[in-house]
Amino acid sequence: MRWRKTLDWMGAHLALLIVCFLFFFPVLWLVLASFSATGSIYDLKGFFPSSFSLSGYKTLFGDTTMYDYPNWLKNTLFVAVGSSILGTVLVILTAYTISRFQFRSRKMLMKSTLVLSMFPSFMGMTAVYLLMVNFGLINRLWALVLIYASGAPMGYLVQKGYFDSISSSVFEAARLDGASNFRIFRSIALPLSKPIIVYTALTQFAWPWSDFILPNLLLKNKDKWTVAVGLMHLDETQFTRFAAGSIFIAVPIVILYFCLSGFLVTGVTAGAAKE
Amino acid sequence: MKASPLFITAVKSPSKRVRASAALMGAGQLMSRQWVKGFAYLGALAGFIAYMAVTGARDIVGFFTLGTVEADPWLGTGGDDSIIMLLRGLLTFILVIGMVLLYRSNLRDILETERRGGAPEGFVKSLGNYLNNKFYVAALALPVIGVLVFNVIPIVFMILIAFTNYGDDIVPPKLVDWTGFDSFRRVLTLGGIKETFFRILGWNVVWAVLSTAINYFGGLALALLLNKKCVKFKRFWRMFPILAYAVPGFITLLAFKFLFSYGGPINHYITAAGHSAVGFLDIDAGLKARIIGIFVNAWISVPTSMLLATGILSNLNPNLYEAASIDGAGPWQQFKKITLPFVVFSTTPVLITNFIGNFNNFGIFYFLRGGLYMDGYFLASDTDLLINWLYNLSIDNNYYSIGAAVSLIIFLITSAVSLSVYVRSNAYRREDSYR
Repeated sequence: MRWRKTLDWMGAHLALLIVCFLFFFPVLWLVLASFSATGSIYDLKGFFPSSFSLSGYKTLFGDTTMYDYPNWLKNTLFVAVGSSILGTVLVILTAYTISRFQFRSRKMLMKSTLVLSMFPSFMGMTAVYLLMVNFGLINRLWALVLIYASGAPMGYLVQKGYFDSISSSVFEAARLDGASNFRIFRSIALPLSKPIIVYTALTQFAWPWSDFILPNLLLKNKDKWTVAVGLMHLDETQFTRFAAGSIFIAVPIVILYFCLSGFLVTGVTAGAAKE
Repeated sequence: MKASPLFITAVKSPSKRVRASAALMGAGQLMSRQWVKGFAYLGALAGFIAYMAVTGARDIVGFFTLGTVEADPWLGTGGDDSIIMLLRGLLTFILVIGMVLLYRSNLRDILETERRGGAPEGFVKSLGNYLNNKFYVAALALPVIGVLVFNVIPIVFMILIAFTNYGDDIVPPKLVDWTGFDSFRRVLTLGGIKETFFRILGWNVVWAVLSTAINYFGGLALALLLNKKCVKFKRFWRMFPILAYAVPGFITLLAFKFLFSYGGPINHYITAAGHSAVGFLDIDAGLKARIIGIFVNAWISVPTSMLLATGILSNLNPNLYEAASIDGAGPWQQFKKITLPFVVFSTTPVLITNFIGNFNNFGIFYFLRGGLYMDGYFLASDTDLLINWLYNLSIDNNYYSIGAAVSLIIFLITSAVSLSVYVRSNAYRREDSYR
């Protein structure tokens, strides 16, 4: 029995080592490459640079004539923060209302979001692109904010699951005390839903922060590019710049995810809960 | 429809005011001295009629003709822009629907006033009451308008486009026409397009099934591995997949593209060993590119399903295992009889979402080898999924109506799959043994 347990232990840890290596190695590769002293991928000679320096980050922020990273970062921040704020408000309102209220068109609304989500996302995007071109709204950052934020309520299910789990007796008590619906929402529902608001704001921020399809479609001018679009235009000779730019944009998101990893499990699991 | 009972109740109502409102929106409200409300309804009606008279009626006609005068750049004469006409027609239809809804709310409002005994409320008070009693209307107004403008209208617009010949060389200033199911016929029967469609569809199904299974079971296996009693420092081990999960997808994809590129490290070692560089993602890469795609997708998606499986497993009653091992069930049997049914049972909806997500997974092959057009394919390559083909067709090459038809076909496939699974999982649901 003893050797069997040891074998089990060794097998499990070997598997873990392999898996973690597979997940860690590409990240490590990118991190080290961002500190490479030379710019092109051909100079790396293998996985890791032979000499390290901060020049990748220096050119990233200093040499902006061809690739204006600080500007891309500014645009990305604008779009991500804007859509996060607006999108969170819309999602929380939608989820709270659909969870707490029974009204005539409720089932109809839920069914139509389900049907809408079946359409390939590209279909709507092609149309949005055509419409924006026709109305001359290409290259507008706030158009992106509006599109992201107004698509957000379609993903209300996670948040609805959260509100469903709050006992309705709290709300009933407030109602008996004569509180209006708006007051109940503001003074009872909102304070109780801090975790889900944080989760929503984070996901609503992370989506535009790392999306490339929409900005690539709608932002044609170089000075309007977001980081994703900009990094897509870097080729093999600009590899260090790419690595540095990627690390710089990934680090805040990674830190956020780690701080909130508790929420993540709840969030992902809540989304799985059935109607 | 529900419209007629409401309308009939209103017309047959004994109250003069209700009948007045049925005949002229807002009239009844004015008669019961609800000035602001009455004038608001009346104003909306007047505005609507004025709009219809000025452009609305013409827009609806334009929706059906899609323009009759073609612009002539040589003579410098302006013509009709079919796409703008289509859009204006669509917006007018939406306005008409909105007007019908407003009319119904007018009827309901006056009936409500009558039911209360005709004692009118002040406008401000009535608005306050309305917002409280119908909190859901106030709360959902913005989200619904947003979804309507940026999701519903574009999708309806694309559905309409699928039934026109818009695209290729027929773009404004040329006139676009309604062509019925012609675009669908072209996708399903026209030489070149047909072969491409079925080839891509076949690969797309294989890809969706394979990658969903790999990601799902990979995540489950990883979660089980981390759940093993003998594994210490669980938080430490879990950190690595979460790290992969947190890196933005496009960075991962671009990094993997560099990893497999000609100058990339893998090719560096291959050439250093004396072989010639391998074009992993080249146009003739064949199976290599597909396998790399599946691997990269697993790298991106396994962590998510691991998180999900971890959450689900923590709800699993550990007594079940104890009972099973007392009954003499080995680890494999325990997995097969307890873990797997429980996890699959509680994650069926996610499984569907993942399947559809993978079926429409645009990013993987767009980044790894986007923009390649192969022989034997119409504007696509052998790794392209339908969604990538859609992009090539409509964004890069202006085949709008064909692209829209392909979108609708994708929609039919994905909704058929989800529906059938939902129905089956409903039958499943009666089985409460795991709860």
